[in-house]
Amino acid sequence: MSSDQLPETTDAPQPDAPEQEAERPARHKGRLVTFVTATHRYVLLGTSAFALLGVLFYIQPASSWSFLGGIADVLVGLCLGWMVFSLIALIYKLTHWSDYGQVAPMTKPKAALYLRYVSYVIWACVIMLFIDRGVMGFCSLVESAIASDTNPTDFLSSAVYMVYESRTIFASGILTTIELAVFGTVIAFGLALLMCFLRIQTPDRSDNDASKFLKVVGCGFAKVYSTIVRGTPMMVQGLIIYFAGFAAFKGTGMSVTQITGVWSFFVAGLVTISLNSTAYMMEVLRSGIEAVDPGQAEAARSLGLSQWQAMSKVVFPQGIKNAIPALSNELVINIKDSSVLSVIGVFDLMYATTTVAGIYYRQMEVYCVAAVCYLILTMVASKLLTIFSNKLDVAQPDAVPSSN
Amino acid sequence: MSEMNTGSRAMEPSENTAAPETATAVDAAVEPLIRVEDLHKSFGSLKVLKGIDFSVEPREVVTIIGASGSGKSTLLRCINLLETPDSGHVWFHGQDLTGEHTDVNALRTHIGMVFQGFNLFNNKDVLDNCTLAPIALKKCDKAEAERRALENLEAVGLSEFAHSDVKKLSGGQKQRVAIARALCMEPEIMLFDEPTSALDPEIVGEVLEVMRTLASNGMTMVVVTHEMAFARNVSDRVVFMDKGVIAEQGTPDELFGDPKQPRTREFLARYLDKPAQDSPAPAGA
Repeated sequence: MSSDQLPETTDAPQPDAPEQEAERPARHKGRLVTFVTATHRYVLLGTSAFALLGVLFYIQPASSWSFLGGIADVLVGLCLGWMVFSLIALIYKLTHWSDYGQVAPMTKPKAALYLRYVSYVIWACVIMLFIDRGVMGFCSLVESAIASDTNPTDFLSSAVYMVYESRTIFASGILTTIELAVFGTVIAFGLALLMCFLRIQTPDRSDNDASKFLKVVGCGFAKVYSTIVRGTPMMVQGLIIYFAGFAAFKGTGMSVTQITGVWSFFVAGLVTISLNSTAYMMEVLRSGIEAVDPGQAEAARSLGLSQWQAMSKVVFPQGIKNAIPALSNELVINIKDSSVLSVIGVFDLMYATTTVAGIYYRQMEVYCVAAVCYLILTMVASKLLTIFSNKLDVAQPDAVPSSN
Repeated sequence: MSEMNTGSRAMEPSENTAAPETATAVDAAVEPLIRVEDLHKSFGSLKVLKGIDFSVEPREVVTIIGASGSGKSTLLRCINLLETPDSGHVWFHGQDLTGEHTDVNALRTHIGMVFQGFNLFNNKDVLDNCTLAPIALKKCDKAEAERRALENLEAVGLSEFAHSDVKKLSGGQKQRVAIARALCMEPEIMLFDEPTSALDPEIVGEVLEVMRTLASNGMTMVVVTHEMAFARNVSDRVVFMDKGVIAEQGTPDELFGDPKQPRTREFLARYLDKPAQDSPAPAGA
């Protein structure tokens, strides 16, 4: 097949492997799958890079959990062999720059196919080496760190040791963070619906004076609320709310122990995060509703629906659908932002981390652990929310019958 | 009763514009279905309507033509108060829509409207689009509303699309659903705001066909349109608007055959060399 390509392609550099796959892989299969299953010019180079990783794993010292023993030498030998072969191919390519595609033995279709099969073996070798040196190495590190009586000196062991020793502190911190974020977001969503309802009120000509007045006042209140809450940091809000609540309870004549029973750090934190998030979610909802074509409301009004009916039956369902991505983002933001509530003493993940850092006086390791925990929490949350919002957006499967 | 009315009244309005005080004299006689009196509307500093006097009799088909920006659509939107007029009155069955304490929502149920941009409810399927308002307002049960909706969808030739997503319909189908949706409220009058302007020429016909059937069934209609053939063949009266006032009105034959105003002649001249899209199908009057 290379001979009939010759006339027009002799002076252009040829792809290493001819593109010979009969059916092009479908797009939805994803780039990675396409890359792995197709015979293409990057088989040698890509697998060599992977093989280099395998060699890097190999030079790590074998741990007590290591199971490969002498087999590791064989595996790394295969990897090195592949790299050497790739090097030969590279030299060949450099020396036969203009007609590599035609003359190189490794670009013959059969050879390219076998090369791809061999590359799978190399991948398997690297994965084995990764498990042996990487995963098992970490397991043995964890084992020894947990068994240790003193805080180990190296970074990873020390982090594992401190997480294990203060696992209850971390666990309760993580739980509090999740509770704050989830309950806060849910409460804020409810409040935001109410506030957004106030915010979008416009006096309608069929309203009487009382409801016109209420609508103007409600809209004004929502605007002022949004401006104040979004214009001040949550840390300040948290402190004000905690101490204001404390003072208010004190005013009723309760003792300090009674007050802390009712107005705990957690409750104050939850109130703060709810009220704070309400303002943001209100604006998100409002922009979602305002993004709905005004013709939708007009059509509803033209049929005789009242302003409220048009809003609740037509505009709002569409508006909230627009707002779902930004609303769910608010949960992720709350997971992270709840960390500032540790200043009022809410025992969240951040407070727990600071506590542990104080016990062992090892800041770097502990804060890195906190960062990883927050990262895992936000990633899981956003993944779940993506699944959730995809569920809500179910496309109707019925096919359109042809027009008459 | 209407046959005679439309016949005799079709001539009158042209005199009304000449002498607006005759509009009050109509009060004593039989009240028209819609009567617009000295309507003014401006958007900011732009005066769109500058004193419109206009009436529609029952079973009459009125088309409003005119250049873009002449205030046709605004007049139509003022009739069911989607735009609030600055001054003037809109009377529907003798009830003042512009009055301070009028229940506009209740009166709107009798006035159907079809928009240029279809404005179908995107979150509902075709059938729900049609049944939403009847269920919400007339408190009739779901089965009854659906039965009536299917009848109206059948009338516009879309009953097989009852459960389709409105976003998947073509423009012509959307507009026909919009007409069916308005009909489900059993309105006494239908307002069409450039119903075919957003459609490509090939499918304009299917919407006009539905409107023509509607007109021949005796529906009172006010149609803002650029389809001169439709105005000429289907309507009982044609109103030509120019710069916020009604420049001229009369029967299609009068207005198209012998326009009095130079502005009307100038406007119509641009349509003269265009071939008529509609086959002649004279309606009622």
